[in-house]
Amino acid sequence: MAILVNLDELLHDRRMTLTELAERIDITLPNLSILKTGKARAIRFSTLDAICGVLACQPGDILRFGPDEGGDGQD
Amino acid sequence: MKHSTALPAAWIMLRILIVLNWMVGAAIAALLIATIVAKGWTFTALGIGPEDQIRSVIVGLQFVAALGLVTIPLNHAMFTRMLRIVETVRIGDPFVAANAYRLNAIAWILLALQVIGMTIGGIGRAISTPHHPIHLDAGFSAIGWLAVILTFVLARVFAEGTLMREDLEGTI
Repeated sequence: MAILVNLDELLHDRRMTLTELAERIDITLPNLSILKTGKARAIRFSTLDAICGVLACQPGDILRFGPDEGGDGQD
Repeated sequence: MKHSTALPAAWIMLRILIVLNWMVGAAIAALLIATIVAKGWTFTALGIGPEDQIRSVIVGLQFVAALGLVTIPLNHAMFTRMLRIVETVRIGDPFVAANAYRLNAIAWILLALQVIGMTIGGIGRAISTPHHPIHLDAGFSAIGWLAVILTFVLARVFAEGTLMREDLEGTI
């Protein structure tokens, strides 16, 4: 899949941990970890909305389209 | 739904059917062997007098018995797959790809059984004479063919449902 998730960089910029974000948006840490590592098949608008709300960013800051690195064996 | 008695009843019924199926198979095999080893005695016992024991009738009935034998492993394959499906429902995880494949296999088995049933019915009509009518409980069955179509559709629905579930599981 060529959709890349920038959650790591955003969290680093906001000085926030993944656990903290998971607690604030009410999503389990394993699920958020799946999203962060780019292993998720899809993302709900509600999830995107919650992350953008907490991190004060735009959806485009979280997701970007890039070359397929083929690291995860996804589609 | 959790306390439904349909599931344990279906499980027990399928277990009984698996045993009964093999018992019927053994009976058909015994009958088929008897028509070869003790032809005259067997057909007389079946109510077909020596004057009616013409070759076409004998071969026809032997062929019907042989086709009956063919249905035994088919029935077994169907019942065991149904049992596996019931077991997946019992453990709470029925929407898996394996069940879609099982339903598809059951649909093909039902189709084969319908074709065999129609063949048996055709043989019955072919060897039946006005003097000695033969009535075999087999032939075209609208409900049977409807079951075939329904099972094929259900298998497809299951396959699509499994894919949708997999997608949903990967949605965050």
